[in-house]
Amino acid sequence: MKTKKKILLVDDDPDIIDQMSLVLTAEGYEIFKAADEKEAVEVLLSVKPDLAILDLMMNEKDSGFTFAHHLQTIYPGTPAILLTAVTSATGLSFDLMSPDARSWLKVNKVMTKPVRSEQLRLEVSNLLKEKTEHV
Amino acid sequence: MITFEANGRTIKADDGEMILTALKREGIHIPTLCHMEGLPPSGACRLCVVELEGSANLVPSCSYPVANGMKIKTNSARVLEARKMIVSLLLSQHPDDCLYCNRTGKCDLQKLALDLGVSQRVHGVKKARKELDVSSPSIARDPNKCILCGRCVRVCEEIQGVSAIDFVGRGSTAFIGTAFDGGLNVSTCVNCGQCVLACPTGALTERSYVSEVIAALENPGKMVVVQHAPAVSVSLAEEFGIKAGTDIDGKMVAALRRIGFDRVFDTSFSADLTIMEEGSELVHRIKTGGALPMLTSCSPGWIKFVEQFYPDLLPNVSTCKSPQQMMGALIKSFFAKREKIDPANIVSVSIMPCTAKKFECSRPEMSQNHMQDVDYVLTTRELGQLIRMFGIDMESIESDTADTPFGERSTAGKIFGASGGVMEAAIRSAHYLLTNKELPALEIKQLRGLTGAKELHVSIDGLELGAAVVSGLGNARKLLDQIKAGRKDLQFIEIMTCPGGCINGGGQPLNADIEAVQSRMKSLYKIDHDEKLRVSHNNEWVKRLYAEFLGKPLGEISHHLLHTHYYERDNCGAVVKDKV
Repeated sequence: MKTKKKILLVDDDPDIIDQMSLVLTAEGYEIFKAADEKEAVEVLLSVKPDLAILDLMMNEKDSGFTFAHHLQTIYPGTPAILLTAVTSATGLSFDLMSPDARSWLKVNKVMTKPVRSEQLRLEVSNLLKEKTEHV
Repeated sequence: MITFEANGRTIKADDGEMILTALKREGIHIPTLCHMEGLPPSGACRLCVVELEGSANLVPSCSYPVANGMKIKTNSARVLEARKMIVSLLLSQHPDDCLYCNRTGKCDLQKLALDLGVSQRVHGVKKARKELDVSSPSIARDPNKCILCGRCVRVCEEIQGVSAIDFVGRGSTAFIGTAFDGGLNVSTCVNCGQCVLACPTGALTERSYVSEVIAALENPGKMVVVQHAPAVSVSLAEEFGIKAGTDIDGKMVAALRRIGFDRVFDTSFSADLTIMEEGSELVHRIKTGGALPMLTSCSPGWIKFVEQFYPDLLPNVSTCKSPQQMMGALIKSFFAKREKIDPANIVSVSIMPCTAKKFECSRPEMSQNHMQDVDYVLTTRELGQLIRMFGIDMESIESDTADTPFGERSTAGKIFGASGGVMEAAIRSAHYLLTNKELPALEIKQLRGLTGAKELHVSIDGLELGAAVVSGLGNARKLLDQIKAGRKDLQFIEIMTCPGGCINGGGQPLNADIEAVQSRMKSLYKIDHDEKLRVSHNNEWVKRLYAEFLGKPLGEISHHLLHTHYYERDNCGAVVKDKV
């Protein structure tokens, strides 16, 4: 049997974790959950995720950034999605267009909350290069 | 007929007419904010107040009917003071960041403040900041800039029949929001952008991808390819203060090239291709007893609308991708192979009159090998900004032509930009496909014009074809309800999301009146009248594409690249996967 790909979800909003978990479990992924940066770091002690989906503003305003760095230090090359409402809340937007942004923002994709389930499935499948019907 | 007096002048009006309508006809300008031409008055903003003799209060001219012998004053000191107060109060809660607002210079509120002489902050109010809604790939909302005029709500409900947004709350805490204030991305919003056109301030704008496109242009490892939609060349002029309806196709192509796009393609080419595929699909459905009437699939706002509100009619929707997506799929397959370039190194940009195209290009099914077929969509307005940013003088730039292999078009592909154009182009080619003879008179007048619903019954070689054309999703609703109720005389229906079609799309230049939209349409039909290649099936490059790559319409490669499928969506706009 094919091993399930592991996805780590880090968000301080349990509803968002539950929604994402529901969508991604149905796709056949194994889900690991963490409510903040500290919990997420602990998960990394026992699990090497194939992909991580991170919130930005959790216990600290920049928790997502620091955890993304931590993830790349421990498991370099692990794809990550920053899923955040930071632009709505602060007016500041982050993108990966410039080399400078890509150098410090250690994620592969920035997504704005809230997302539709098919958007999440598409981005996850793109980063894991899964052959799916893409919906 | 009745007469009344305004500012001492005697004015004639029809019984039941509103004061504002009668005054406008007489050339007396009354400022308005919430008023929308063609819709019943809402009387919300009170900016149009006038003084009525015998009435203790000022009356709103938009919603107060004329009466015989009434005497009104439209610019007395009392009236001017009242209007100034209204604008002053609106500004008291408005952000002070006009310099950073993308509506500056085109903002109705800013213009009113200038016109009415509101030159200082009189009322200091603590502003409650609301979060921005930047979740949608098409439209961004800044509730802080909203003045609650309700125009977006009305266009969404009364013209488009979508009702994705509405007033929420009461009094000073009222705001415009989606259901459960969840954000446009998870609402029934079809991304048409008619609300953006209706908004008097910067509260609603398109989600801009200008910086992403500039970053791609600066990346030496990427080939950046651009396509431009049929309706853009006849409306872009307005962004540069040139008369509405002026066709600047050649100058636009030259500007795109000077900006740095490696190839410039014309989406009208893939509109011709759409006709070949969609025409063949229609004939196939008629001959094999497929689902009829067939509904067009070019307009992505309409597609999300039917997925959400009429999922039982999804089998009737043509499986053809829109011209934008057909071009996108060809660029990253046929073109990449022809140029011997890895499609991963192509950035595909399209210039559209449309905000819903931004959503369409992000749809999961519009991709190959984990790459979206179209990467970024810019509206006509964003292209205007990009051209200004790059310092290109549109007056003096020399015209240029689009690139091969997707640069040639027929005028049938060009008239896709106006409501009725797809049907007209389809009938021209269907006639040829069925009879091997060209339609004797190519211009089909019954399908032209800005009317929201048009119909035509023709007989082609014994085949009875009932055709209907609707634009504006409210009109689509009416027709679809007739179909659901059992109407059987129609075989082919063209549906465009925006009233009048793409020429009036949500990505088009702001502050355009109905005359400007008419001029854009006339310009498209003038191009059709003046040029020689007027039918899609005679486009040589379309023929070559079939000969060298696609094989035949509805063939296997076409099926894979040029056709798609649709999904039922829930009230949050998300795909209902288990029902597929």
